[in-house]
Amino acid sequence: MFARRSDLLLDKDALSRFLPWLIAFMVFLAILAMAGMLVLNATASRWDQGIRGTLTVQVMPAEDPAKDDERLQVVLSVLAQMPEIDRYEMLTDDRLLKLLEPWLGPAAGSRDLPLPRLVDVELKTGADLNAEVLSRQLAARVPGTSVDDHRIWLKRLVRLIQTVEGLATLVLAFIALATVGTVVFTTRTGLDIHREAIEVMHLIGAQDSYVAGQFASRAFALGLKGGVFGLLLAVPTLLGIGYLAQQMDSSLLPDITLGPVHWSALAGLPLVVSLIAMVTARITVMKTLSRML
Amino acid sequence: MTTNDSETVVRFENVGLRYGLGPEVLQDVTFSLAAGSFHFLVGDSGAGKSSLLKLIYLALKPSRGLISLFGRDIATTPRRELPAMRRRVGVVFQEFRLLNHLSAFDNVALPLRVAGVRKSDIQKHVVELLSWVGLKDHLDARPPTLSGGQQQRISIARAVISRPKLLLADEPTGNVDDRMAMRLLHLFEELNKLGTTVIIATHNSHLVKKLKFPKMHLDEGWMEIVGADTERASVPPTSEPGPGGGLFDDGDDDGTRPDLEKLF
Repeated sequence: MFARRSDLLLDKDALSRFLPWLIAFMVFLAILAMAGMLVLNATASRWDQGIRGTLTVQVMPAEDPAKDDERLQVVLSVLAQMPEIDRYEMLTDDRLLKLLEPWLGPAAGSRDLPLPRLVDVELKTGADLNAEVLSRQLAARVPGTSVDDHRIWLKRLVRLIQTVEGLATLVLAFIALATVGTVVFTTRTGLDIHREAIEVMHLIGAQDSYVAGQFASRAFALGLKGGVFGLLLAVPTLLGIGYLAQQMDSSLLPDITLGPVHWSALAGLPLVVSLIAMVTARITVMKTLSRML
Repeated sequence: MTTNDSETVVRFENVGLRYGLGPEVLQDVTFSLAAGSFHFLVGDSGAGKSSLLKLIYLALKPSRGLISLFGRDIATTPRRELPAMRRRVGVVFQEFRLLNHLSAFDNVALPLRVAGVRKSDIQKHVVELLSWVGLKDHLDARPPTLSGGQQQRISIARAVISRPKLLLADEPTGNVDDRMAMRLLHLFEELNKLGTTVIIATHNSHLVKKLKFPKMHLDEGWMEIVGADTERASVPPTSEPGPGGGLFDDGDDDGTRPDLEKLF
């Protein structure tokens, strides 16, 4: 499959039968690592976009609950005068209680629990509003009011995502190195097995590149064969993980579905691995043959 | 023998060869062969005939001395240019060295493939040559399924398919009887007439005496050329041409001598 005709009996090597399997497993692992990386990247990007340009204003309950509405109205009137603000919306008590329910359980439904009032603020696109200034301005009018621009949360999130992405990249690099090592080993063994035939080809005037081309072509074909097999193993695995994640129905888990672009990138991985195998085989043969007369 | 450099195909100057730390198997070998010459390389077993041929077809480097091929010093020729030089040399190996996994056709086609000849030309030339050497019905046969004589013919066809400027044959008649040996020599002689320089290493003293070509005589690593001034003899026609009068038993040609101009 995929290989051009060869003057060497490369198809019948035990190593030729063994290489596609190794590459299949490597591609399988590489696809899982890459899928994880893509999902994290997309999730981080979604969170980032969702959080950037939003603020949350928190109005702490007053000692006298009767003044809560008045305090809230003052805050809303300040927000209404800010030109940078596109829209703001006060979270209803029901919504607030629903958000607290996963942590507090049914007790969150108790109306006796003093709850802060939250206002979700959306800034205009490109607006530059200093959250600290706003916070001071509001606190001056309504003591106990604070503004959260989610910066700390975002910073931690980005750091976490970057660490995991770095690890996934490391895994991909290890897989690429392992592929290169495996191809170097199998190519050298192939050169030993076919030494006699290669010597004859050499003596009748074959350039090193002619022999190297045959090994490279074979490595590409085997790499693609193994890569496609690895992809076929990885696709149901990814779909299975996606299905399980959907079944969990938890707001804690981000959306981990892959888009068409992600699937295309993953589908291209077998080709990348076969190209690595091809180039590695070619360099190995050229280097080894350069030691011949 | 004195020749100008431009006409010299092979030149050895004080060439010595030893394997590892062993004794020299060739010592101070000095000679030059003119383009279009025909020589037998003779000597007892172990005299160094195969080693000398290996030096000429660039399978070995000399331990000392200078070798030049087609007017170029091998020691100073860049490695990347050696394959082009090798393509001008046809070699019939003593043990054939055919690739057993390839068919007779593919074995003979190999020198053309590595030289980048077009597929259609390869097909035409190889089939013609294999037909001529009597193996038309064995194009797809693998060497292990063929007799020693048939393998030898494939080996010879592979060596001559690209019309080499220099043909080296190591005991090319070692596996055949005198009658077949004489027929093979017709092929070499016809190639020689077309300008190919020929060196044949042989133990067959009968052939050497009969043909009176100059002899490169090797004795314990020392070499001398004898009979260079003798008038060149022609290989006599075989007394018993094969069926159809071909060079080989099952050949298709009409005479005992091949028409190489038509063949290539």
